[in-house]
Amino acid sequence: MATFDKVKAIIVDQLGVEESEVAMEASFVDDLGADSLDIVELVMALEEEFGLEIPDEEAEKIRTVGDAVKFIQDRQ
Amino acid sequence: MKLKTNLCNLLGIEYPILQGGMAWVSTAELAAAVSEAGGLGVIGAGHAPTEWLEEQIKKAKSITKKPFGVNVMLMSPFAEQNMELIIRERVPVVTTGAGNPGKFIPRLKEVGTRVIPVIPSVALAQRMAKAGVDAVIAEGGESGGHIGELSTMPLVPQVVDAVEIPVIAAGGFFDGRGLIAALALGAQGIQMGTRFMSATECTIHDNVKELLIKAKDRDTIVTGRTTGHPVRIIRNKLAKQFEERERQGAPVEELEQMGVGRLRMAMVEGEIQEGSVMAGQICSMIKRVEPANDIIKDIMTGAELVLNRLGRGEF
Repeated sequence: MATFDKVKAIIVDQLGVEESEVAMEASFVDDLGADSLDIVELVMALEEEFGLEIPDEEAEKIRTVGDAVKFIQDRQ
Repeated sequence: MKLKTNLCNLLGIEYPILQGGMAWVSTAELAAAVSEAGGLGVIGAGHAPTEWLEEQIKKAKSITKKPFGVNVMLMSPFAEQNMELIIRERVPVVTTGAGNPGKFIPRLKEVGTRVIPVIPSVALAQRMAKAGVDAVIAEGGESGGHIGELSTMPLVPQVVDAVEIPVIAAGGFFDGRGLIAALALGAQGIQMGTRFMSATECTIHDNVKELLIKAKDRDTIVTGRTTGHPVRIIRNKLAKQFEERERQGAPVEELEQMGVGRLRMAMVEGEIQEGSVMAGQICSMIKRVEPANDIIKDIMTGAELVLNRLGRGEF
């Protein structure tokens, strides 16, 4: 689960949450307290870390930590 | 000295002044008057249906041959249809609020429409620049209506440093001093909403214009911070009720319900106690109702005076 760990580290850094809160099923908005601008920053940080593009239509579908991990794994 | 920036060339306007596209306020009459005066007038689509917008675009085109814009509120149920209309009518400029216009950009660019989103943060500005927008409006929390967290002074230079496209500063601008300050921060122009509410051509109710003329420096407040959708309005009966319920921990649904229909109530019906009078912090600087042309001339004359004074080293 190397991808998950990297994603988790970015989420902890970007959203200022505890590592223990970052579960696969955690929703960015409802569980981790992110707003739309936080999500923009998060998406950009993920793009940079994994060297990929996350188009707006795809970014809109990423609602949970698991969604983000799956999106990245599918493209690696 | 002519204060012409690259933004003026990009938009085909004479002066680097945009008029904010305010819902229920920025009608074709106001937008066309601002464009005629050499700025960029912008029709505010808000939540209005597409037929209304179509009428407004046609009206603006009948009054002015100069470029004008439409502001599309992306959370409106008509956002998609409004964009289709803008493409069909080949409106020269579209500004957007409350979201990310990414998916509309390719088709707008295809017909030559300039796309300028309003952004409240550095990251969104960067993402928009990457998506190919022509400029961004960095809007600080001094503005009226829905606002972001940052103030104009810290937001603008950070956005200027982060993107290579032109930046338009918004939030707290009123006169030539503000325009020069914005240019000093690296912006290429300003967007003003509140001051244009006092324009003769602005069709809002006279009660609102009179309220703006009477307003003092501390008369606007921000409500709705707890709902995640903060709004700057003039403190009136509605604002006080809202503040009270917010302090008592009223549920978000109740607070949101309190705001429904209130903007129209204020701006169109002139109900300035029960309605939502969205206005920026500079509203207290408004002293009279005057034509849009006089507002623009005042800003440009003032800006040149300030620039000359600074150039002579007189601080």
